[in-house]
Amino acid sequence: MSRTRFLSAKYAVLFLAAMLASCEAVPAYQRGDLARTEMSFEPDPLESRLNQHIYFSKEASTGGNGVAAGGCGCN
Amino acid sequence: MACKRLLALTTSALALPGVGGIAIADTPPADRVLSYRVSNYQEDDLAASALLAGSAERYDIDIHQLRFSSAIGSDYSIALESSYESMSGASPWYTIQAVNGETQVAMSGATIYEKRQDVTASLRRYFSAGNLGVSFTVSDENDYKANSAAVDGSYTFANQATTLSAGIAHSDDTLTPTDAEKFNRILGAEKTTTSAFVSVTQILNQFSIFQTGISSARAAGFLTDPYKLADRRPERRDQFTWTSSWRRYFRDQRAAFHADYRLYDDDFGVRSHTLEFALHKTLRRSLTVVPNVRLYRQTAAEFFTPATDFVQAQPFNSSDYRLSDYDAVSAGLRLNYTIGDYTLMLSGERYQTTGTSAPALIDFTRLTAGLDFSF
Repeated sequence: MSRTRFLSAKYAVLFLAAMLASCEAVPAYQRGDLARTEMSFEPDPLESRLNQHIYFSKEASTGGNGVAAGGCGCN
Repeated sequence: MACKRLLALTTSALALPGVGGIAIADTPPADRVLSYRVSNYQEDDLAASALLAGSAERYDIDIHQLRFSSAIGSDYSIALESSYESMSGASPWYTIQAVNGETQVAMSGATIYEKRQDVTASLRRYFSAGNLGVSFTVSDENDYKANSAAVDGSYTFANQATTLSAGIAHSDDTLTPTDAEKFNRILGAEKTTTSAFVSVTQILNQFSIFQTGISSARAAGFLTDPYKLADRRPERRDQFTWTSSWRRYFRDQRAAFHADYRLYDDDFGVRSHTLEFALHKTLRRSLTVVPNVRLYRQTAAEFFTPATDFVQAQPFNSSDYRLSDYDAVSAGLRLNYTIGDYTLMLSGERYQTTGTSAPALIDFTRLTAGLDFSF
């Protein structure tokens, strides 16, 4: 495992621990704001897919958006 | 109708972000949604001072996208998605170092005309505390075909405040470069990509939610660009990402703030950082405006050379600008306007790069218009 991956794994664990330590119990009836479309991690699937496709074809980096779609001749 | 609203509210209240950044509840979506987008992607021309030969005109692409999603009964949902691209423009062929030390680019002489279409079909099954989905994608160009499949799932626990998600995907790609004999290109080749991810999503409080995850992918086979002269890359590439996302709703301002970070690292030697911010601001009940900014920085691949290595002194080399070290900044604006069951959207993005080792780096502008119909 490279140093970068080791550090990122360490930071991920620290983030997770900090996140869990700071969270509050939120009953279902108080989750209305969390459920808003604009609070989604991907509010517009088509625009997200297009942007990922563009960045994938023009940058060396890819991934980090869940399961990958098929490749293309653009990269 | 009242029943439909109640189902929507229940679905929303239990919704948690899951796979692929998509909010996934453990019940199917209440509405059927039909969406259409048309986009134009336009790259700036290559600077005249950097052009050695060929056309300075870069890619101009028109994209049409269509998506339909619907529940099937009370336990399943489907999504069908298709896109069609038509593109024209010239592509970098090779680079040389001029006597004054500046790098110049030889572009493909004739303008390239190309089309690409893809179709994705997804099916998801919902359980009391999770969901499981499969999807299949076919992408077709005259010189490149890809077939891929993916499986992913989510499990929600801890009073439905925590979601654990995981997935795997595999893609089989076939290359058949055009004019292969004329330009001494490979006649055909294969490439596979296998990836996996795991993520955790946590409700922090009434207004904030957080997601972090890691993913790993291995690309194997012919990873060289057949359209670039004297381009040789390893036949395996291991990639790793760590992503974190935070969403915060400000009720008084009627605005949702998005912050996303991605670390990328691979054994080509490329490492990148991507940071994105967006603010989804509701101006009136029917109008939402979304400004966003994206910052990107990457290091060069170990075998990147600013000028094409015609001698092929090293086992691997590439002058592909996408493997150079550079920074990029993009800014965008999006408008959503809802009338009844219809939502009209307009968005635009401007992307600009800064880097010194590759003059072929691209700047581009994207414009999109679209319509969603919920029924």
